[in-house]
Amino acid sequence: MWGSLLRRGARGAGCLRGVASGGPPWSQVVSEAEKIVGYPTSFMSLRCLLSDELSNIAMQVRKLVGTKHPLLDTARGFVYDSRNNLQMRGLVVLLISKAAGPSTAELSFQHNMVSGIYSSQRSLAEITELIHTAFLVHRGIVNIGELKSCDGPLKDMQFGNKMAVLSGDFLLANACTSLAQLQNTKVVELISSAIGDLVQGIYYENSKSSEENCLTDDIGISTWKEHVFLSHSALLAKSCQAAMELAKHSAEIQDMAFQYGKHMSMSHKLHSDLQPFVKESSSDTMAFSLNSAPAVLHQEFLGREAWIKQIREAQGKGNKMDYKKLQEAIKAGKGVTSAIDLCRCHGSRALAALERFPPSEARAALANIVYAVTRFP
Amino acid sequence: MALRWWWRCPPPPAPGAAVCHFTQRSSTFSFPKICNIFWRFHHTSMSHLCSCSKTASDEKYQDPFQLGRKDLKNLYEDIKKELLVSTVELKEMCDYYFDGKGKAFRPMIVVLMARACNIHHNNSREVQASQRSVAIIAEMIHTASLVHDDVIDDANSRRGKMTVNQIWGERKAVLAGDFILSAASLALARIGNTTIISVLTQVIEDLVRGEFLQLGSKENENERFAHYLEKTFKKTASLIANSCKAVSILGCPDPKVHEIAYQYGKNVGIAFQLIDDVLDFTSCADHLGKPAAADLKLGLATGPVLFACRQFPEMNAMIMRRFSKPGDVERARKYVLQSDGVQQTTYLAQRYCHEATREISKLRPSPEREALIQLTEMVLMRDK
Repeated sequence: MWGSLLRRGARGAGCLRGVASGGPPWSQVVSEAEKIVGYPTSFMSLRCLLSDELSNIAMQVRKLVGTKHPLLDTARGFVYDSRNNLQMRGLVVLLISKAAGPSTAELSFQHNMVSGIYSSQRSLAEITELIHTAFLVHRGIVNIGELKSCDGPLKDMQFGNKMAVLSGDFLLANACTSLAQLQNTKVVELISSAIGDLVQGIYYENSKSSEENCLTDDIGISTWKEHVFLSHSALLAKSCQAAMELAKHSAEIQDMAFQYGKHMSMSHKLHSDLQPFVKESSSDTMAFSLNSAPAVLHQEFLGREAWIKQIREAQGKGNKMDYKKLQEAIKAGKGVTSAIDLCRCHGSRALAALERFPPSEARAALANIVYAVTRFP
Repeated sequence: MALRWWWRCPPPPAPGAAVCHFTQRSSTFSFPKICNIFWRFHHTSMSHLCSCSKTASDEKYQDPFQLGRKDLKNLYEDIKKELLVSTVELKEMCDYYFDGKGKAFRPMIVVLMARACNIHHNNSREVQASQRSVAIIAEMIHTASLVHDDVIDDANSRRGKMTVNQIWGERKAVLAGDFILSAASLALARIGNTTIISVLTQVIEDLVRGEFLQLGSKENENERFAHYLEKTFKKTASLIANSCKAVSILGCPDPKVHEIAYQYGKNVGIAFQLIDDVLDFTSCADHLGKPAAADLKLGLATGPVLFACRQFPEMNAMIMRRFSKPGDVERARKYVLQSDGVQQTTYLAQRYCHEATREISKLRPSPEREALIQLTEMVLMRDK
């Protein structure tokens, strides 16, 4: 069914094999894709970082150096990691815009295009990144009432919170302003609802991670998928759809773009959830979330009771979780393989959605992204 | 749900009580000579210094709420319907301030303005659904910003209740604020008018920029006052000005009317905040529903402080260190009450209200227009 895509994608397959040996293929997939869309996607950081408000924040964040406020890590990640995951959403929006091309209804506007992408679609890519970053910042708020003495002075944490709320709000406000400038009420509606989804997704994420005793909520994989859609997929899916709306593409193409964004980011999330379980070098065990897909699936196969028993055994003495032991238990079950199956299933659905787009470099790059997040050693 | 009568009017004091020698050095905002009628409000805020007793409202002040009440019926129910969330707790947090106990000051102005503009344009007596949506959106944006402000200021109480962050913690409170904002944005998109989207999005940007302005302080006294007024515009008046503008655009095609609506909202908004800043000094905590002298405790130098600083230059140092030394807050409060800072700020608010009245008087006469004029008086008379 995806014959043509597979053949086109084969060029990238060479580097995909690099997963086990040496560097990850991700950065290469990204940098090749960036060439296709004309210029690198790190534009967002530029315009925003040059504003008075953010330089004010940057000055203030320096005061947090030496404290334990999470905003510091977010800021660090923003600077050092911007070549990797941070700009992925914007890049996908640009690629899918280019893959869809101008619609027949909008031929008159073709002169607005640079590298086959409308300027409104470039703005949308930037908006998507702004929203994503705003919530990275808002995710890092700490609950003042739950602080312990080892977290350092209360005043520092309050100050960190203040900066985190403000800078997140600043990014969101900028996103809203750019969104309004797109002059398309359907797009404003889509992106606003994506923000609402994201908030609800993060809320679920929070209510789980606050479980100190490591006992997870009794959720099945379908609930897990709902939550992950909200926290990890909705923004990209709706942005992809909105990019099609901006070029006045048909409802069908809009839906396909939505499906690509949704399923690609679902497999992306499954892929990263699986990393602690598929890494070949087992010398150091990565801590993993008990709400990651393999663990949730493991529980489904095993039954709640038996799963709780395994957690209790791993907790053993002193309440310190023995992740190594728990990981072995999960690996022994069917959780890992079925998470891999699920990851590939979403990948296939993302590729199927791409079938509706004409073959092009941009479409191949979108397919390569799927290959990168469905490849396991 | 019936909307509560939202502030009490003390009987007006004897006219001509005092004449204020006002010299506003900030040149950014200039005014025409004020009208005699406003002098009678002079010193009103002093007359109920920390008066927690409830004053009966004067019969002579007709309730302007009456005119908008029909439109605002079920306001809070409708807002709650916009807040579609699947989790019980997040829903509870989002609904928390839409309990019908707020003043609903903003929606009231917005529907009255909508009616005044509709009448001005074609004598229509109906509020359009889209105009009512603007009232709802304005209240939602306002509430979202309150929830975030309380996290930023680490506030414990508001409107006599615990704050959202106090009950549910900061992490969730920030998310609740974000959710209310996204729901407001969704409702805004559904109005289906890109101009309205731009006008109300300006508010969101101004609110954030206002919060940034509040972080910094200016060394120079004149700059400091202009900075304060700009912050006041962005944090409070922009929302009222732009929502008034939005309903005027929906009700009437004439750009002159849009400007009138905007100017009215801007001037009332600034006056409203100036009085808010006065009440922080003259009212007590129980009455306000939040701690008194809250601004000083946050390190903020508001109108009364800036005026007092002219009489007591020793306050300069305190302003610059944001009242951070022990005893600063108490001393600054004493200086303010000894000075004429409260009267001067009230007087300035009167001038803004007068300007608002002058603007709105350009519209065709209507009961709604009169209500908007009366509303400016009530902004000055309120004691909470």
